[in-house]
Amino acid sequence: MKPYRIPLIVCAIIGAAGGLIIMLSGLPSTLFGLPLVIWGVIFGVAFVFLDAREAKSPGAGMLWGIAYALLLWIALPAGLAARATGQTEMFSAARDHFPELVAYLVCFGAPLGIALGTLGLRRASSEPFSLSRAVIVGGLAGIVGSWAFGRWMEQVNFFPLIAGIAGSNVRETGIVLHYGIGIFIGASFGALFQRDARGHGSSLGWGLGYGVFWWFVGPLTILPLLLNQPLNWSADRGAQLFGSLIGHAVYGLIVGLIYATIDRLWLAFFRDSDPINRQVSGVGSRGLQGIGRGILASMAGGLLFSLVMIATGALPRVAQIVGGTSPVLGFFVHLVISALIGASYGVLFQYESATAGGSIMWGLVYGLVWWFLGPLTLFPILLGSPLAWSAEAGGAALPSLLGHLFYGAATAVVFLLLEHRNADWLLLDPRLAARESRMVRPLGTPAPALWLFVIGLGVLLPVLLSVGGGPGGY
Amino acid sequence: MNDMRKIVLGSVAGFAAFPLLLVAASAGRPVWEVLLVSVLAGIALAFVFNASNRSIANTIMSGGAIGVPLWALIHVVAVPLLQGMGTPLWSADGMRGLFPLLVGWVLWGAAMGVLLRLATGVATRILGPEPIRAPANREIKTRILILGGGFAGMSTASHLEEEFGADTSVEITLVSENNALLFTPMLAEVAASSLEPTHISTPLRTSLRRTNVIRATATSIDLDAKSVGVSDARNQWSLPFDHLVLALGSVSNYLGMKNVEQRAYDFKSISDAMHIRNRVIDMFERANRESDPAQRKAMLTFVIAGAGFAGAELAGGLNDFTRGMLADYPQLSTDDLKIVVLHPRDRILPELSEPLAKYAEQRMTARGVTFMLNTRLNDCDDDSVTCTCNSQPMTIPGNTLVWTAGTTPNPLLRTLPPTVERDKRGAVLVANTLAVTGHPGVWSLGDCAVVPDTLNPGKTCPPTAQFALREAKTVAHNIKAVVSGKSMQSFRFKALGLLAVVGHHTACAELSIPFTNKTILFSGLMAWLMWRAIYLGKLPGLERKVRVMSDWLIELFFPRDIVQTTE
Repeated sequence: MKPYRIPLIVCAIIGAAGGLIIMLSGLPSTLFGLPLVIWGVIFGVAFVFLDAREAKSPGAGMLWGIAYALLLWIALPAGLAARATGQTEMFSAARDHFPELVAYLVCFGAPLGIALGTLGLRRASSEPFSLSRAVIVGGLAGIVGSWAFGRWMEQVNFFPLIAGIAGSNVRETGIVLHYGIGIFIGASFGALFQRDARGHGSSLGWGLGYGVFWWFVGPLTILPLLLNQPLNWSADRGAQLFGSLIGHAVYGLIVGLIYATIDRLWLAFFRDSDPINRQVSGVGSRGLQGIGRGILASMAGGLLFSLVMIATGALPRVAQIVGGTSPVLGFFVHLVISALIGASYGVLFQYESATAGGSIMWGLVYGLVWWFLGPLTLFPILLGSPLAWSAEAGGAALPSLLGHLFYGAATAVVFLLLEHRNADWLLLDPRLAARESRMVRPLGTPAPALWLFVIGLGVLLPVLLSVGGGPGGY
Repeated sequence: MNDMRKIVLGSVAGFAAFPLLLVAASAGRPVWEVLLVSVLAGIALAFVFNASNRSIANTIMSGGAIGVPLWALIHVVAVPLLQGMGTPLWSADGMRGLFPLLVGWVLWGAAMGVLLRLATGVATRILGPEPIRAPANREIKTRILILGGGFAGMSTASHLEEEFGADTSVEITLVSENNALLFTPMLAEVAASSLEPTHISTPLRTSLRRTNVIRATATSIDLDAKSVGVSDARNQWSLPFDHLVLALGSVSNYLGMKNVEQRAYDFKSISDAMHIRNRVIDMFERANRESDPAQRKAMLTFVIAGAGFAGAELAGGLNDFTRGMLADYPQLSTDDLKIVVLHPRDRILPELSEPLAKYAEQRMTARGVTFMLNTRLNDCDDDSVTCTCNSQPMTIPGNTLVWTAGTTPNPLLRTLPPTVERDKRGAVLVANTLAVTGHPGVWSLGDCAVVPDTLNPGKTCPPTAQFALREAKTVAHNIKAVVSGKSMQSFRFKALGLLAVVGHHTACAELSIPFTNKTILFSGLMAWLMWRAIYLGKLPGLERKVRVMSDWLIELFFPRDIVQTTE
């Protein structure tokens, strides 16, 4: 108990403050008859007991914090409270409780996590961390992500709205502010997650999670405050900003990927190229092996996904990418796309997981990544249409979301089997086995929190906020 | 034991968490049905996430996250299909209708995380820690010893690794005089300073992960005692075996010409190629300051004995190299330089069909190579080469002789007992399974074996790398078959074709047409591109491929290197 004394006091205070802010924001001040300030204290204390050992850095703590906040919302407002309205009304009731989701993430999860992580930093092992590398690389990644996000903002004329932060409505001012914010978020991404985002794949997941989190913080919270507008955390407002959600997700993905790429290059130049640190196989050999295994593994996922596409009649639309309409052509185009995505999975997610459970999770995250990038972003671009970043497009593409999730999980499991087949040989030599195990993601990183946050919200938000009900989309 | 414990713990946790699913399920759903789903999912969760080594935070989050795909798989897809609804409920409306179950599954997963962690803790207290799987049986039951690290030996080891995988009861040992596999098709390019020497050699240790590689020389073979004597510079010791693979290759055969053996440059190893390259550069440096024209000509005359693949390719490469070097030695002229090829037959490259051999001879002659056909080498000294050309004795003034005219199987094979049948060259006769007749557990392949050609009865397989690689696969398969008591397979392989490069943008290719006995011939630039593409593909290891490609790329823009690395 003694080592937890300071974290308990700090988190209880932050929890109480979070509850107070939520009460002041106009949301109901009690939950099941208990004031939110008390809930904040309970949440803060419980968070310390559950997570004090895991929150080893501000970034790790934040991820654990927002994942617990999501779980709290699912359990209480969307679960118990909504269930009390009856089985059939539960969805509507959960939508009515959407403001609490934003509030819990912004006022409970993030501040508690950052605080506990900052306290945990003092006793964390001395993992290498370079702030300059984090800020420079993250800032560069932020610029590229902002450029991609900016394409949609231009399309919906969002820049003048952003310019309102500086009391202007000039488009160019909005662009400058947009890039400034993008650089700040990118740099903070590096500072928060440098220790945990080990490879390209996990960095992609971290980027997606961070991008989605900033959708709650940015357009739903800070932007209206800066524009002197009342906070509107309702599900309807969320649905209006669904395009921005996809934009934030894509922005996060780009930041994650670019960050990991530059960061890995940095490490390759300054650390891995040192012969003392060499691995059994070079990066080139490992990459080629990953591509081969990824393509093989993707065949399983691709065939599984094709069942979804046949059922939804999406194959003729896929054939349009190469100028045809035949379902058979669409099937082959789909398999080629599957193989390409599988190859990228092999490169990005090598050594991320040593267990079936972890692999399934990373596969689901990657499937979700491609739902944002595929049917909602690249597919319309390839067909010459505007970006499908809207609640309507999200609703139409929901069947495809499941297809992508199943594809990712199946690909990941087969990939793991292929990786294990190779590792069996290596494990015969204990020295090689030790080197190999050092490359695999260890337990103790906030990856499970990321899985719940990204996969949970990746399915919940489209279901809660999307508009329309028909099937379709790739 | 571990599996049973996981089943029990998963069942218990699934049973305890099932009310969460029951509350979320629609009214009227049978309780037993929900309970069964919960227990089965609990068991699956216990298997995919090992709760014993995870924190409770980890299991809560992992469990909550896995609840989402379980909801999708069971309620969105499986249940509607099992109920005969035709299509899954994956439209937006369908999923919204299943929202209560989504909440239920996420909470069920999180609860399962807690319950599994607690149940694992209780089980550990009562039953003790999960028994660690007994380490794999490290007792070695089968020792496979491969002699030779060339194409045949290394490829056999590689296939054996595939065949036996992580089976620790089988030990694979490879004894080789070199620690790398030399990619001989590119050896002429090393002598001609086109490729860096190490770029065409692949270290055996990086290619063979579970084979015990010993750099040593095999000195004796005792088939009765099942042991092989080996030695290195300091020590001698013996290696026992259950299966012995003879892949010793061949050595140069000087046909009893002692002077030639002492003075000629051999052309079989990487160091041979480097010596030839350095000799050429050395001769140019000496000739550059030589005032006597006859002496200068002798220094710049390079005689190659033999115009098979090795001799012709070396002649083509050296011709390009030396004529390019003249640009750096302005005192020397093309008249001083001579690449002479002596060949006892009436045409070069006897392995290739006649039109291609003719083409190669014409192209090389046009580029400056001198061929002396029907010419037999007799003797040599430091200043000249003596030969018989069309029955006429002849002396060629020349300071450098390279021998590529004959090989013989490794002399170690001569120490084998007479019960091991050999041909007149000394190569071991094997059955079509590549087993040495009368000596179970002894196998032979490659240059040192006489392998019957199953597809052409009465003939034998040529001693080429192409055949050695396929023979290695058969040997590995048959050793595995013997170890596991299964039936062996016969070696059968039809040559894919032959390729030879004889100069810049000049090559010959004779490729077999599948399912026929016909071949298709290519020559010139097309064949040269095919040669580079095919052999680059066959060069073992991605890293080596990249290095060789970079050498070829550099050669496009810069002249070949004339740095002398040894005296």
